[in-house]
Amino acid sequence: MTEPLLSVRDLKKHYPIRKGIFNRQVGAARAVDGISFDIERGETLGLVGESGCGKSTAASSVIRLEEPTAGEVVFNGNGRENATRNADGTHPNDVTAFDDEELKAFRRGAQMVFQDPSSSFDPRMSIGNAVGELLKIHGMSDRYRRRAIVEDLLERVGLSGNDFDRYPHEFSGGQKQRIALARALVLNPDLIIADEPVSALDVSIQAEILSLIDDLQEEFGLSLLFISHDMSVIRQICDRVAVMYLGEIVEIGPVGEIFTDPQHPYTEALLSSIPTPDPRASVGGIELKGTVPSPTNPPSGCRFHTRCHRVIQPEGVDVDQDDWRGLLNFRESVATGRVDIEQVRESLTAGGEEPTDRAIQAELREEFDIGDSIGDEDLEEAFTESVRLLLDGNAERAGQFLEERVTTPCAQTVPERTVHSPDHESACLRHEGRASAEPNPADD
Amino acid sequence: MPSDQLLEVEDLTTTFGTDDGTLTAVDGVDFDVDTGETVCIVGESGSGKTVATESITRIIKTPPGEIEGTVRYKGRDLLAMPESELRDIRGNEIAHIFQNPQEAMNHCYTVGWQITEALQIHQDVSDEEARAKAVDLMDRVGIANASARFDDYPHEFSGGQKQRVMIAMALVGDPDLLIADEPTTALDVTVQAQILRLLDELQEEFDMGVLFVTHDLGVVAEIADRIVVMYAGKVMERGGVLDIFDHPAHPYTQQLLECLPEFGGTTVGGIPGTLPDPHDPPDGCRFAPRCEYAEGACRAGEQPEEIEVSPGQRVSCVHYRPGMDPSVVRNDNFEPVGGDGAADGEGGVSRADD
Amino acid sequence: MATESPEQFDQVDWNDLSRSGRFDLSINSIGMLVTALPLALLGVYDWRFVGDRTATFEFVGLDRTLETVDFLFIFTLLLAFWYLVLPLYQNPRRTRYYWKEFKRNRPAVVSLGWLGIVFVGGIVGPLVMNAPQQELLIAYQPPVFTSVVDTTPATCVGEVINGRCHGTWQHPLGTTNAGRDVFTMIVYGMTISMQIAFITTTIVATVGITFGTLSAYAGGWVDEIMMRFTDIILSFPTFLMFLLILYIYGAGLGMFIVVFSLFAWGGTARYVRSKSLSISEEEFIKSSRISGASTYQVIRGHVVPNVASSIITQLTLLIPGFLLYEAQLAFLGIGDSTVPSWGQLIAAGRSDLSFAPWIVLAPGIVLFLTILAFNFLGDALLDALNPEAEAENA
Repeated sequence: MTEPLLSVRDLKKHYPIRKGIFNRQVGAARAVDGISFDIERGETLGLVGESGCGKSTAASSVIRLEEPTAGEVVFNGNGRENATRNADGTHPNDVTAFDDEELKAFRRGAQMVFQDPSSSFDPRMSIGNAVGELLKIHGMSDRYRRRAIVEDLLERVGLSGNDFDRYPHEFSGGQKQRIALARALVLNPDLIIADEPVSALDVSIQAEILSLIDDLQEEFGLSLLFISHDMSVIRQICDRVAVMYLGEIVEIGPVGEIFTDPQHPYTEALLSSIPTPDPRASVGGIELKGTVPSPTNPPSGCRFHTRCHRVIQPEGVDVDQDDWRGLLNFRESVATGRVDIEQVRESLTAGGEEPTDRAIQAELREEFDIGDSIGDEDLEEAFTESVRLLLDGNAERAGQFLEERVTTPCAQTVPERTVHSPDHESACLRHEGRASAEPNPADD
Repeated sequence: MPSDQLLEVEDLTTTFGTDDGTLTAVDGVDFDVDTGETVCIVGESGSGKTVATESITRIIKTPPGEIEGTVRYKGRDLLAMPESELRDIRGNEIAHIFQNPQEAMNHCYTVGWQITEALQIHQDVSDEEARAKAVDLMDRVGIANASARFDDYPHEFSGGQKQRVMIAMALVGDPDLLIADEPTTALDVTVQAQILRLLDELQEEFDMGVLFVTHDLGVVAEIADRIVVMYAGKVMERGGVLDIFDHPAHPYTQQLLECLPEFGGTTVGGIPGTLPDPHDPPDGCRFAPRCEYAEGACRAGEQPEEIEVSPGQRVSCVHYRPGMDPSVVRNDNFEPVGGDGAADGEGGVSRADD
Repeated sequence: MATESPEQFDQVDWNDLSRSGRFDLSINSIGMLVTALPLALLGVYDWRFVGDRTATFEFVGLDRTLETVDFLFIFTLLLAFWYLVLPLYQNPRRTRYYWKEFKRNRPAVVSLGWLGIVFVGGIVGPLVMNAPQQELLIAYQPPVFTSVVDTTPATCVGEVINGRCHGTWQHPLGTTNAGRDVFTMIVYGMTISMQIAFITTTIVATVGITFGTLSAYAGGWVDEIMMRFTDIILSFPTFLMFLLILYIYGAGLGMFIVVFSLFAWGGTARYVRSKSLSISEEEFIKSSRISGASTYQVIRGHVVPNVASSIITQLTLLIPGFLLYEAQLAFLGIGDSTVPSWGQLIAAGRSDLSFAPWIVLAPGIVLFLTILAFNFLGDALLDALNPEAEAENA
């Protein structure tokens, strides 16, 4: 098999958090925390996830718009094919180790398209010059030659050569995105990273731009890293998809398999939140509650366990999955001191007389979607006991108590990657025990 | 005309005086909303959908704007009403939520303060009562631990939570009509699903009419009862959600649907051409310059009158006039290509569910 | 590979190209260099080889001399031509757009016309008109269409009717107490005003933009030190400093311009810094960096042009301040009495206000109009140079 065009291994980008007058580093926001993927020549890899999952940071680290904290980005395009590793294990094509000269050459091999068409062009530069700027930077000093190339390229992306002298404000969002594509293409790169290129556009314009990207990719044999939060867009344009959650890739595989047979619960949830243009389909599926947790202090074990609808129950426990989810949420809220028992009491009092302890317990059950009785004696007892502790005003003790009694393997074990079929891997504990992923030869 | 409808908009025209002449954003548009139903106005940016909804309660600046026509809300004409009376209705009986919750909030005040302020503008309640009610509203729109978050500032909320707060602010006056202008466009898909679900629940709870503006037909399919398709300031087609999705009559509606991945997506490549210049709209049907079925009759006179093609579904297209052959444009076999669209992804999920 | 069709982007051999030289001067820079070089040579010649009393152009038989201020002025004019006027001509599309926006503001168009007159008058006037000579005999001539009691002027140039001396076209704005023609003085004053305007703007813009962008891009301690230095500049008592210099060295117009502009860039630098910081967050800066541009290229190509157009307004509004300052100093008698500025003219006429008010009024009105024009212009430029606002409607 031929080498991939781009090969990312264990890429990390941490933003230090500093505090105090001495700017001491007190922690780090782990925006990207060890992701690995390959992109073959001519292939489109989608990177999908909610905002805050680190997908844009991943893109700018890969292209070295920001310096990655750790990891390796091997780029085999640009005439650097078939390089072999150095004796000390470093790769001569590792972008993160490029010096200025090599980096400038790398810019000709990899370009980027940004999300916001309104801010991606200098308002005081004609779009022809904005596209031609790249040629100039890379040493083409003949302005007539530049102009000829850019005019030709503008026509290829569906504009006219006469648009050369027009300014960004004279174009619509869709047209600007075409120009942005022209700018990314003008140095004839092997790889284009597109960071949400159609999210700011109307659906009808989205379709235009996506089909243009498709055509250009075919014509010039481009590889594409396509970043989006919108699964339906990913489906249209990508060959493979990597699903990112909180700085990690939780599932990666061919687009068809991911859509028909998602293995990670997060992928399932993402898929079910796509609005379907079928009025008969009920608003349904899996609702992801809450938002992505802070990357400064990511949850232990599987990072998705705090929102997962399939969170695993411990050995010997078999209760209703909704109750189990609710109980875990309750545990989390109590442990972080977010359950205000006085508030619950107050809101119940507003409805009439002083509420009984039983009423408060019922209210809590309702708030956390826990059934009237949990189908497991131990857990039921743990719940009632913790509520009693809460009522006694002993919130801290209640938190500790719950942490001891209600546990899930998901919070304790970091899931390994499991291979489901060639190319399709996911990181979920439920698949543990099946064939785990072959350690990637590039890793060691 | 009996005015049992909650909101009736008739011949609404909104123009803006600009340096380059008069810009007609909305050009003689009719629609109505009944209690408890959701009407979606669908169109691309520049179709005038936002201006149309903002004209209802006259939140458009006049001048340069000028609003004509009638907007009857519970039988009273909002456009003829003095500003002081309208102020009692606006934000109280008729509430607005907007696309960008970041911009709609004041970052100098706590979220709770902003909700109570909205409350006290319209109702004479004490500070304690206002606070209790605000916390209750925050709770109802799904903000966990509402009383603790009451004193937080907007920047401490995520985008989805801010939109929930905006909805809470919209609900302070127990509105009968909620106008939602692309409330989910700026949000992630997962959060969008949450917000749509919330709106659905609240509509039932408050028995509101909802006027929902969006360009995303996927969202429309989830929440709409009826649809009004707008293009370049005119209504192209209207009808029940099933009618529009099953047999869209207007070529524009059809092409809009074909832009969706499930109906063709990339293979179609969008709708060729661009919106007409609002300073100088074309004669005849506004869509004619971009329409593949356009003929001579389409390019003369006014926008064609609306013709009923099935009960409740009306279309403004010359091909449906008596004596014309509607089969030219009619495409009754409108359904997702391949049938293995997102529905299949959904199927995969439910399979895994059991 | 000479083909009929235009060259396409995927046919460029980059390895070949990027090895070739990268030294690439724009036509503007070449023009600037070519024209500034003779000026510099002339300056050196004037400084080293020409005696203090000898006129600069003695060697071609012209009795004209150039002061330091004149050299600076010509240099700024060259800068303005190559980097302001020529780009406007090179980008007709953008120029038309700016003009379309600009001409909406009627008072600004009138102001521009007035400033054009002052500018042309200031450049051409001294070349075609002789410097006003002292002629005590014809002192206190009234302006044309007016008359004074014929005892006021020593001799009346115009007609004397009923004991009143009438003004003539020979001295359309009358003469001063020394018999100098007020109109000629005002035209010569235009030169001074334009010199003040151009030189101060250039100094403030150069120092302010350099300081602001450097500070923004350096960040950290460098930024901190540069900005604290700016604070010192801003809180420096410029006027006292000027008085000090005045008493030690005596202060000419050149000294006035240099001292005041060297202490006036603080606000500009601060503004440029914050503007640069916000511009560097824009996606077009990211895409320029990704295209391989060096930090210098990014700043020179994107940050400075965007900053410059937004500080033009601020600079335009600085000029009236300098003009007024000069006039005030002249009025107080601590200006440069050797230059025929409007302030000096007003100062000279203040004792004759009761019987010869035109000596004060004529330059006073011209000064007032000029300052008003700069203010109107600044306002209109703010609107015209802001294409983003328009882009929102697209």
